[in-house]
Amino acid sequence: MTSPDQDSNRNDRARAKARIIAPVAQQLHRASMLAVLAGLVWPVQAAALAWAIAGWVEGDIGRTLPAALIFVTGGALRAALDHRAGAHLFTAADRTIARERAALIGREARARADIGSAQIAALIVQKLPLLQPWITRYHVAMVRVSILPLVLLAAAFWVSWVAGLILLVAGPLIPVFMALVGMAAETASRRQMDEISTMNAMLMDRLSASLDIRLLGAGARTAADFTDRAEGLRIRTMAVLRVAFLSSTVLELFSAIGVAMVAVFVGFTLLGAISFGSWGTPLTLGQGVFILLITPEFFQPFRDLAAAWHDRAAGLSVVAELDTLDAVDRVSFVGQAEHAAPLPGPLTLNLTGAVAALPGRRVALPDFNFAAGEALALTGPSGAGKSTALAAIVGLIPLADGRVEVCGVHLSDATADTWRARIALIPQSPHFPDQPLHAWLSPDGTDPWPALKMAEADRIVRRLPEGLNTRLGETGGGVSGGEARRLMIARAILTGRDLILADEPTADLDPETAAQVIRALTRLQRDGRSLIVATHDPALIDALDRAIEVRP
Amino acid sequence: MKALIPIIRLLVIAAPWAMARGAALSVVVLLMGVALLGLSGWFITATGIAGLAGIGIAFDVFRPSAGVRFLALGRTAARYGERILTHDATLRALAALRVTLLRQQGRRDARALARLRSEAVLTRIVSDVDALDGVLLRLVLPGLAALITHALVFWALGWLAGWPVAWAVLGGYVPVAALIFWLLARRSIGPSDAVEAQGQALRRGVIDMIRDRAALILGAALGAREAQILQIDMQSRTAARTLDRAERDASAALSLLVAAVTGVALIVGGALVAKGAAGPAVAAIGVFVALALAETLLALRRGVAELGKMSGAARRIGTDAPPAPEPFDAPDLTGAPLLRIDTPAVQIQLDENAAVALTGPSGSGKTTLLMKIAGLANGDGITLLGERPDHWPDAALRAVVTMVPQRSALIAGTIRDNLTLATDADDTTLWRALSAVALDDVIAERGGLGARLSEGGAGLSGGQARRLTLARAILTAPRLLLLDEPTEGLDADTAERVLSGIRTALPDTAILAALHRGADHPIFDRSLRIDL
Repeated sequence: MTSPDQDSNRNDRARAKARIIAPVAQQLHRASMLAVLAGLVWPVQAAALAWAIAGWVEGDIGRTLPAALIFVTGGALRAALDHRAGAHLFTAADRTIARERAALIGREARARADIGSAQIAALIVQKLPLLQPWITRYHVAMVRVSILPLVLLAAAFWVSWVAGLILLVAGPLIPVFMALVGMAAETASRRQMDEISTMNAMLMDRLSASLDIRLLGAGARTAADFTDRAEGLRIRTMAVLRVAFLSSTVLELFSAIGVAMVAVFVGFTLLGAISFGSWGTPLTLGQGVFILLITPEFFQPFRDLAAAWHDRAAGLSVVAELDTLDAVDRVSFVGQAEHAAPLPGPLTLNLTGAVAALPGRRVALPDFNFAAGEALALTGPSGAGKSTALAAIVGLIPLADGRVEVCGVHLSDATADTWRARIALIPQSPHFPDQPLHAWLSPDGTDPWPALKMAEADRIVRRLPEGLNTRLGETGGGVSGGEARRLMIARAILTGRDLILADEPTADLDPETAAQVIRALTRLQRDGRSLIVATHDPALIDALDRAIEVRP
Repeated sequence: MKALIPIIRLLVIAAPWAMARGAALSVVVLLMGVALLGLSGWFITATGIAGLAGIGIAFDVFRPSAGVRFLALGRTAARYGERILTHDATLRALAALRVTLLRQQGRRDARALARLRSEAVLTRIVSDVDALDGVLLRLVLPGLAALITHALVFWALGWLAGWPVAWAVLGGYVPVAALIFWLLARRSIGPSDAVEAQGQALRRGVIDMIRDRAALILGAALGAREAQILQIDMQSRTAARTLDRAERDASAALSLLVAAVTGVALIVGGALVAKGAAGPAVAAIGVFVALALAETLLALRRGVAELGKMSGAARRIGTDAPPAPEPFDAPDLTGAPLLRIDTPAVQIQLDENAAVALTGPSGSGKTTLLMKIAGLANGDGITLLGERPDHWPDAALRAVVTMVPQRSALIAGTIRDNLTLATDADDTTLWRALSAVALDDVIAERGGLGARLSEGGAGLSGGQARRLTLARAILTAPRLLLLDEPTEGLDADTAERVLSGIRTALPDTAILAALHRGADHPIFDRSLRIDL
């Protein structure tokens, strides 16, 4: 009897395996075989050592050199096999990560989901590599554990049934403990990860409030408080770890007891104090040394598997996240975003019965006609769909119904790129990529100063410590909201395109700064560009030719 | 590499006692492991000889077999203790590292502190700190334990099995292992730093691509950007491949070394037996010990391979920190006016209980002026009680001036945690401060001073968060209060009440506020306009 919950867990695991493990199954199989072969070299090496030491006792010193040679050659073979297996494993993991990364990179900007860019970046950069230990360690450990202990057990039985029995009893008990230990190891590692991530969250939180803390003179207090909290966290974590480590100690205890029992049993047998356990002929010294040497290796695969246990859990949770991301609703844009010659003819735009298709909802857009040289305001309360209208006009959102006609042609996959080649967009929230200002303003190297002057942004750039070489970075550090908007306008001018769309260009600005932005926009119209602005700022609406209301 | 040394010192000093005990137990674990295999090997060989000689009855089996059991159990127990102690020491060190970082960052100037709001900067700092977490557990402790173990085993082997065997084992392991690790460090330092750096570049690239999506589609540059990011990914994976190769080479070299040293120990042992200098059982000890010493090396490999990543992180964190502030003399506080500004743009003098509104378009330098007065930027032309603010010792300056910056931040925690960030105060005082900024009703509704805010103070509206930071500033009761856009995000009515509330709560404090609206509020004696 399995509960539905277990069933769904099993299904998830099967799906995850099909997605991540199956494509590299061949590589993993080859690596596992090599790793098993490497494990099989050990009994040969052990036999060589045992044979030489027995020789010392029996007066045959001549065995030493050949035995040493066999042992070192075996070691070299083992090293080479493991090296080769590692290469296969790395390739398998590398391919998987490269494939998943390329898929995410190719999809996330093309078809947007409503998920933060930082979250996606974290998945691509930090979490995907967690698949590696799962691929490289867990699978091989699993194959090794299913072959090597059996071979060594057979070798032990062949020499002495008591020694074999000791391993047989201690061995199968290990899987029982392993479930326990696997879980406990998982708890321990998760707990420690939690501890670190809590501490990191606290660190980020305090660091991002550094300015306030400094200005309040709270630096010393904050540091002391951080120390106290970290101390509390440490004490709680250690309480959990004490228990978690205890259970992994049990596993080690079994292997230690196994080794000790074998050693003592062999010793007593050799002395003649124990006369049972071997097959007819008494146990020889060489056989005794051999058993002693293979016993730790019998337990090793179990311990490796226990150590790899939480790698699998970590890998599975990454796959679960990938699956979730695959399943979310997405909006893809119209066209291919490839270079195309600008759509010819005079600029016109007609919307008739257009309905934008957003995930899970439809937004009806107003009908209107727009001609070259006009300056149009799209108005309406926040949330009415002004930004959606702008996005639909440039083909960033597909239509569910109706049509958008541009320069006399239907806006479609075939025409979208050529239509977009005539448009520049000024978004509401400025984003500066991590590149020098001049490269961001004019990627083709045109002189940015005339455009900066036109947008009243020349003084902003002069005031920046490194002028056009400044990297404004992720948050536009160093420029205010109004300054960022004017830089965006300068960038739109520099594209040389004849239709400029602006989304709420005066939002959150004080009246004086807003006035500067409005002046810059109207100057664009005088310069011969056409303008469509989504806004609910009366001052801006007044400055434009006409307004069309977008109703929710 | 050099950058790592101060970090190691810092981490060790954080918990020297726990660290020393952890290191000692690591050595005990390794020694017991070596002794277990050595003793077992000796025991089996010796019993074999006694059995052959027919003197099995006379052989003292009980002490060695008790020794084997003791070592087997003792090693397991010591391993448990080692895990506990080293994790404990590491957790202490982690906290110490973060506190030090917090202190260092807190000493930087206004621009640098404002940059700490950027998620990219924060993520980078945190990932650097994470990279340093492994310094103790994977590099310093195993390295130290391995060295001590080899030294002790050398003496023990020399005494038990003779110096030739001891020299063969020590001379085989230590120099060659050192060479392997040195080569590994040299080969991996570049790629392991590169993997980290490319990871950051990849992260930024993905975020930029998604946030700049509309512009990329309009500019027909999406494909090119994707190709660029895939290129970064390829570089990062190439570096990872080089790193993996170096690590695997080192692993292979180490396991070959173990086989070779064991082989040499076998040959030396054989020679001793042949000469009659040692019995077979004693000579076997060397072989088993050589085999068991493999454990000392393998734990170090990962740490050495991460050296590049660690030292890169140490370098970035280290250079991020400004020099420790020089000790200043306390300024002469007698007679001078509280605040005097004499710069080309602004000339003004402010005395106790004055209140001045600072106006002007954005970008005219209001915020910069306030930051200068608060001592976080070059204070040319500004004197506070007769001394330039940036020449004041920080603690003394903060006792006089408090500033509420424009984009001020709250911390995760309760309302009380946020209010008492700088000063202890009883609940009555806290409520009084909350009522001064017209926030007492809101907080009472949300469950009082114990109500929790999540990260960055999320859970309050913009205007409520703003008022909470104002209340926090009131509680420090400064002689000079600097406010940057205190009424932003507040409706006119609330703004009016908040400004009056602040004045009533701090009747003797001089207030200088940069505002867009509300400069005509009755609390201000005058307003001062800055133009571009």
